Amino acid sequence: MPLLRRCALSLVAALAVLLSVAAPARGQDTTVAGVRIGLVYTPGTRPGVLVLPVGGVAGDSIRAILQRDFTYGDRINVIALEPSAIPPFGDGSSKPNYPLFTRLGAAAILEVTPTSFGIQVAVHNAGKGLVERTKAFPLPAGTLSANWRLALHDVADEIELWVTGVRGIAATRILYVSEGRVYQVDSDGANPTPLTGAATAMSPVWNPKATHIAYMTMGPAGQQIVIRESGGATRVLPTRNGLNMTPTFAPDGNTIVYAFGAESGTDLYATNAFGNEPARRITVGRGSDNTQPSFSPDGRRLAFTSGRVGHPEVYISDADGTNAELLTPYNFGDQSYRANPDWSPDGRLIAFEALIGGRMQIMSIGLRDRVIKRHTSEGVNEQPSWAPDARHVVFTSNRGGTRQLWVLDVESNTVRQLTRALGARFGAWSPRSVVASSVGPSPTPTPPPQAQGTCHESWTSRTRPLGTRPRRRLRLPEEAGNDVDPGDADA
Amino acid sequence: MIGRRVGRAVATLSLVVTGGCFATRSDMRVLQGDILNFRTETARADSARARQIATVAASLATVADSVRATSDRLTRFQGDTRGELRAIQQQLLQVQELTGQSQRRLQEMRAEMEARTQVPVMPPPVATVPGDSLTAAPVQGTPGPNQLYQLAYDQLRRGSFSAARAGFEELLRSYPTSELAPDAQINIAEAFAAEGTAASADSAYAAVVSKYPRSPRAATALYKMALSMARQGRRPDARTAMDRVVREYPTSDEADLAREWLRTNR
Repeated sequence: MPLLRRCALSLVAALAVLLSVAAPARGQDTTVAGVRIGLVYTPGTRPGVLVLPVGGVAGDSIRAILQRDFTYGDRINVIALEPSAIPPFGDGSSKPNYPLFTRLGAAAILEVTPTSFGIQVAVHNAGKGLVERTKAFPLPAGTLSANWRLALHDVADEIELWVTGVRGIAATRILYVSEGRVYQVDSDGANPTPLTGAATAMSPVWNPKATHIAYMTMGPAGQQIVIRESGGATRVLPTRNGLNMTPTFAPDGNTIVYAFGAESGTDLYATNAFGNEPARRITVGRGSDNTQPSFSPDGRRLAFTSGRVGHPEVYISDADGTNAELLTPYNFGDQSYRANPDWSPDGRLIAFEALIGGRMQIMSIGLRDRVIKRHTSEGVNEQPSWAPDARHVVFTSNRGGTRQLWVLDVESNTVRQLTRALGARFGAWSPRSVVASSVGPSPTPTPPPQAQGTCHESWTSRTRPLGTRPRRRLRLPEEAGNDVDPGDADA
Repeated sequence: MIGRRVGRAVATLSLVVTGGCFATRSDMRVLQGDILNFRTETARADSARARQIATVAASLATVADSVRATSDRLTRFQGDTRGELRAIQQQLLQVQELTGQSQRRLQEMRAEMEARTQVPVMPPPVATVPGDSLTAAPVQGTPGPNQLYQLAYDQLRRGSFSAARAGFEELLRSYPTSELAPDAQINIAEAFAAEGTAASADSAYAAVVSKYPRSPRAATALYKMALSMARQGRRPDARTAMDRVVREYPTSDEADLAREWLRTNR
């Protein structure tokens, strides 16, 4: 490693010179909140960031987690240097070799110092050769616990905001279903935790504040919608007996829209997630199936899948169901299959799945220009769900041999595997507020309650086991079992 | 005398009464022959009737088979017709959807064309007096209805509600007879609703119904107004409006939704 050796020698020489230079004063937060550091970030480029070795017991873990978060954010290029190649630093008696690190591609140098209550972060501007910003971050007790990791992810997100102007998505979680149970996992794939004991859960979603989740499950009266709050208490949405599925919360946090199927077709209904008023029908399918609703960020529009032209296509309408229009263009006579729309948090795109060459692939369509982009090609890829940065999408794919969740960067179309569970599917990315009010695991995961009649008004933390699976009139792709057809999997 | 006369009468009566009991053998043969003939004729009649019944039954079976076959054909025909009707309906829906897409694209293209025709138009050169420094300023074309609509609609989608409203109002002022006028009017209502000014939104929705009662937007506006009233707690007004949707626009999608709303909100 001649380059590294040269680097090390240069650093030693530089240290001797710099010992006499006073270290810059470090306060709690030297800049006004909300003001970016002086780096010039050009969209489409990835500024290099060097994370200096971190001291303390969990120093290596802190450095590894931060570096991984920056890498997964796809907006920062992490300068990977072995700790041994970087001289000791951080006691205030020296400063980095800015010219050297600048030559290595570092626009910013991150100095993390463990404190009694958390960590102190200093961001050096390598180009200017000075500390741009320092801030102390408290971390909860229990090093490497789920909450500690989440707090550290939040630090990474804030640093990403300083460097790029866009907050990261590390401090988020993703819901998914494995073996019929709803799980949550950190955005970096750590801490997969079961949230429900139900063996028949499907289609989990977060509410906008991440204080509740909703999912559908099987009961004796058909499929029903269950709402679970962060403490673990659950409530069955008062719906008609039958096929109730694919719930989604409106951005107001109170309205929930779901699909109800009957002999006359499947339509979308809206109701108060926490009330008992009758649900209001919002689609006019006239015998067709209308499912998988997804709200626009402002809550005034709705995307959904409809089979009203004979095959599933993505439609958008006003939130009250009026002004429905076909979003995904097709030619007369086509029997295409486009479904599972998810509206991006910035409102510009809708991701969906489309059948191409006999396999589902992840696509997106622009709301303004209606231009469709294809993002995947390997294996079967379906059920997209946007991250809060409107850049990453979690989706289900069998490209690794079994059905797992993968994360896609729609700008570069790069992917990474998120889960290593038994047949993970139905990924649902949380909003950023998951830090403030995380849906924690149930102490004793129990099955959701059974629907009795049509109305359940109270929240309950103890529930009865579920009954058998009723006959279903409609079988959508997302409702298919989590068994993987070996012939369908790409190596 | 009397006694002798009575005695003769009794004797005559006795002869008359007891005479039938002494039928001759030939009378019996005649009687048996008559009975035999009667039986033969009865049997012949029964046989003929049985043949007639069998013939009728066979005819009935034939007719029943024909009816069944006809019924089957009719059922098949009905099924085929239903299938064809459904296919035609789906094709119609496809055509409608594609027409909707085409109309949207056409509108975007019209807006683009209007934007292009707005390039500064230089007036023909005018003979200038030497030394006159005044030059003719380029005349800007006014935006057309499609361009105005597109600009205002973009503002609405972006959340700039007052700017969107101003754009739609300008369209209504400049092009009151444009085919986009009903859309502009309902979008003014939408902008008010998005801003949370329900009363203004209701007035704007009502204006769609009163100004453009034959536009497809009228049913939408009336339904949205009814929902807005229901959200404000004005249930009787909402019911009245929903009734109007069902009564005045019975074949619209909104009428379908209004019927269900009326059913679940008694």
